Amino acid sequence: MVKTWGPRVIVAGALACHVLTVPSAILSAGQTSGAGPGAWAGDLSPIPPSEWSYDRAAHLLERAGFGATPEEIARFAAMTPAGAADALVDYDAIDDRGHPPFEESGIWDAGMDPFPPSRAEAVRIAREHGEGLGEKFLPEGTPRRLQPIVDKFFYSLIANNIETQRLGLWWANRMLTSKRPLEEKLTLFWHGHFATGENKVRDYRMMLRQNQMFRRNASGSFRDLLIGILKDPAMLVYLDNGENVKQHPNENFGRELLELFTMGVGNYSEHDVREAARAFTGWTNDVLAFKFDADQHDFTQKTFLARTGPLDGEDIIDTILAQPVTGEFVAAKVYRYFVREEVAATVRADLGRTFRTSGYRMKPLLKRIFLSKDFYSPQSYATQIKSPVHLVVSTYRKLGLHEMPTIPDFGRMTAGLGQALFDPPNVAGWAGGRTWITPSTFLQRGNLFRDVLFPDVKSFRAPDRSMSPTDERVGQRLAKGMNITEATREGDAESNMMIDRDEDYNTRYGGYAGNVLAFKRTKLIPRNTAALDLTTMVISARAGTADQVVDHFVHRFLRVPLAETDRAALVSFLRAKLGSSTIQPGAKLEDALRELLYLVLSTPEYQLG
Amino acid sequence: MAGCSCSRRDFLARGLYGIGVGAGLPFILQRTSAALTAQALIGTSAETHPNRILVVIELSGGNDGLNTVVPFGDAAYYRARPKLGIPEREVRKVADGFGFHPAMVGFERLYKDGQLAVVHGCGYDHPSLSHFSSMGYWHTGIPNGGEPLGWLGRLADETYPAGARNVIVNLGTSQSLAVRGRQHSPLVFDDPDRFRREGTDDEKHVLAGMNRARSTANQTLEFLASTAQNATESADFVRQASATYRTPVDYGTGGGIGGNLQRVAALIAADMPTRLYYVTYQGNSFDTHVQQADLHSRLLMYTADAVRGFMDDVKRLGRGDDVAVVMFTEFGRRVEENGSLGTDHGTATPMFIVGHRVKGGLYGKHPSLTDLDDGNMKMTTDFRRVYATMIDEWLGVADTAAILKGRFEPLGTFA
Repeated sequence: MVKTWGPRVIVAGALACHVLTVPSAILSAGQTSGAGPGAWAGDLSPIPPSEWSYDRAAHLLERAGFGATPEEIARFAAMTPAGAADALVDYDAIDDRGHPPFEESGIWDAGMDPFPPSRAEAVRIAREHGEGLGEKFLPEGTPRRLQPIVDKFFYSLIANNIETQRLGLWWANRMLTSKRPLEEKLTLFWHGHFATGENKVRDYRMMLRQNQMFRRNASGSFRDLLIGILKDPAMLVYLDNGENVKQHPNENFGRELLELFTMGVGNYSEHDVREAARAFTGWTNDVLAFKFDADQHDFTQKTFLARTGPLDGEDIIDTILAQPVTGEFVAAKVYRYFVREEVAATVRADLGRTFRTSGYRMKPLLKRIFLSKDFYSPQSYATQIKSPVHLVVSTYRKLGLHEMPTIPDFGRMTAGLGQALFDPPNVAGWAGGRTWITPSTFLQRGNLFRDVLFPDVKSFRAPDRSMSPTDERVGQRLAKGMNITEATREGDAESNMMIDRDEDYNTRYGGYAGNVLAFKRTKLIPRNTAALDLTTMVISARAGTADQVVDHFVHRFLRVPLAETDRAALVSFLRAKLGSSTIQPGAKLEDALRELLYLVLSTPEYQLG
Repeated sequence: MAGCSCSRRDFLARGLYGIGVGAGLPFILQRTSAALTAQALIGTSAETHPNRILVVIELSGGNDGLNTVVPFGDAAYYRARPKLGIPEREVRKVADGFGFHPAMVGFERLYKDGQLAVVHGCGYDHPSLSHFSSMGYWHTGIPNGGEPLGWLGRLADETYPAGARNVIVNLGTSQSLAVRGRQHSPLVFDDPDRFRREGTDDEKHVLAGMNRARSTANQTLEFLASTAQNATESADFVRQASATYRTPVDYGTGGGIGGNLQRVAALIAADMPTRLYYVTYQGNSFDTHVQQADLHSRLLMYTADAVRGFMDDVKRLGRGDDVAVVMFTEFGRRVEENGSLGTDHGTATPMFIVGHRVKGGLYGKHPSLTDLDDGNMKMTTDFRRVYATMIDEWLGVADTAAILKGRFEPLGTFA
């Protein structure tokens, strides 16, 4: 049964003006019909040009990108639906060379490759070779001879983490400023689909290369992407395919390929998993490059999904792509990302066919989705919960910012809400939808924007230059002149003895020294607050009264209108702050506008995209 | 309160705020306690024991099971652990050939009181030695799978009405995969004091009004609005409950785990309608690769003292019969100690079930220490049988197989 929208949501033009009491100067042409009729749900036929509107253009930009300012939305509203979809999807035509490449700090030196999986292992290797991670033992007779190796180990973990923070910020800046918003939105999609985390990979270089590979193939062929990811060093490390050798096939890689990347559970057998694993034996990496290790590859016969032969990895991929369920599985995932959580069976089958018969090209699939009536139906329109990354980036876009603010810290903001770039929760990626929201994250979603609007520069702690409390205490004690043993004591008497017991090195000192070296060798993230000027924003929107300001904020930031009581509460809040119903430029105005914006961004409505 | 005819729950809810409750409290708080208290009274149809509470404790990092429940009767243990093995005379013996680590006074007492079940050799087929992967398997209850939801999240979705609030509380810095569900959004917080709406009183006043549940055709908006109202109300409630809770019970000196269990007790005392609590250790605390003896000893002492204290405390609150604890870790450690006086990632490991209604004792078979799989023990009990025990026997939820996506036989641990 299809639900219809209440009068506050479906709004005919006259009614909208009445209910919202929006002055005509604020409402640009076209802000009439939000969602289409309920009958559009499940209908993949294209929306006719006569049904195109400002709100629907805004909806498209919200989903196919990171939202937009009213000016950009108006530009898309003036196109036909097909013209708007083409402008977004055929983004290769847009010159977007303005982005600076990621500026690497240069934290790796030759001795660090290949990086050992644990500190214990680093020490073991060093004992065997007399050196490790590019560092030599201290001279004989010196205390803690292995300390440089342990310091270097921690340095690498911390420095890679900092570089990954910088990488996340670099990417967020692309999301914010890209003229090809869909390119970044797709790159984020593939990051979630082929989820890989730096916390296990421990090498930002691999994460950067993977990110570039996603971007290069984002709207191209799914086959290219699949081969790209299966030969991607970060993924090979993440799924332990280095351990997938012919004597002991490791099923991890084959299983995730079938279950998460292409077909979904229930469409293959355990036997297929094992056979796929064998076909990918010997697919490994030599640090940053894919390596086919023929000695470890199983060249013998395999039977996979009813196909028999000496199958190798690419044969497996092509067999998978020949299955109708693969087209459906991936198309449904694309649909869930761009449209909504529930995928009707007919939509799944139809989109799956479109995808597979087009040779797994992304563009025809995306255009079909973005032009479909279903995409603008009440079931799709403003029903998606913004992901944390989308929430933050799109807010900045709607504010017209051209650079990511770094106070508060972007990575910390989104991580606190459950989404850290380059650190998905597991190989299944982010579950998304309602799982983004808990009572605590709901409050934080608002709180974070209060930090943006009223930044606390004085007590801000830069995560790229912050140690754990333990490491920091070690530093403070060393600065007071304590020796290493004294400085690394923590807690009760028993634990005092433990940390320094291995006389070859002191682990806790290693943690501290690793921080110091990492801070020295990584580029500092420049810290700046949001360049906001809400006064100019409302004045250029010709909002002269408290009512008009509230309506402008609703227009600019919300895809669903507020209930009249809530709108009235905001208006009286602003009036009280201003001591007047009209707008008088000044410091008091800017503060009041920021408070008002904080309230708008903290509503349940604002979480919807 | 003398002469007050109000119910125990009213009494507790008021007691939470001390004397003179109405006068000093903002309106929102009075409404909050009433609303939350009322909810606690609502039973659900899908279960037989609507008052029961399950507390899950995660020993993150891979607890060394062999040095927790020590098989002192097995010479192979001492051969594999020449330096780290716990000498027989120090073991807190509880059964033939088995005993607790000397630091676990709390567990020894719980065991002797018949309130602690040890389930030997828990694990799953094709074990992963990666913290990350293996923890994911335990969280979802689907080993070697890519299930996006946690077993407790699915349990909540299947069992409690979608509208029921705060069915799950997760004490931790971030939401565990174990509690991720489709319908139920867990209350996740670490420091209750930071679970709050920022802003001036004016701002908060407006937001409290706007963040209210409402009926609309947009179901996502409905969900958001009801979460928003819940957040506004629960944040104050949780903060107050935690700040005002006083108990004479000693939870030990561990801080983290004891503090979190005490917060759980505070919420139970305040009649929070929560049925599932999830408590984790910070970071990979139990990942004892190096110099493990003292560290492991402390962790076990903290854990045993905290769990023992918690059980005493809920008994004091009159809820002893309504609470059970289950404790797990993502894997055990290798049988053989390593060269750094520590142990590396392993496989099978004991689980623990604690509660007044538990039939205490040893369950399952301890894995062999000589018939190993690449140096690791072969699991003897699928950990999902323990989950099934908690779902079926403890909570009385019928459709265990749908939640666990397969049939797993309960262990018969509850009387």
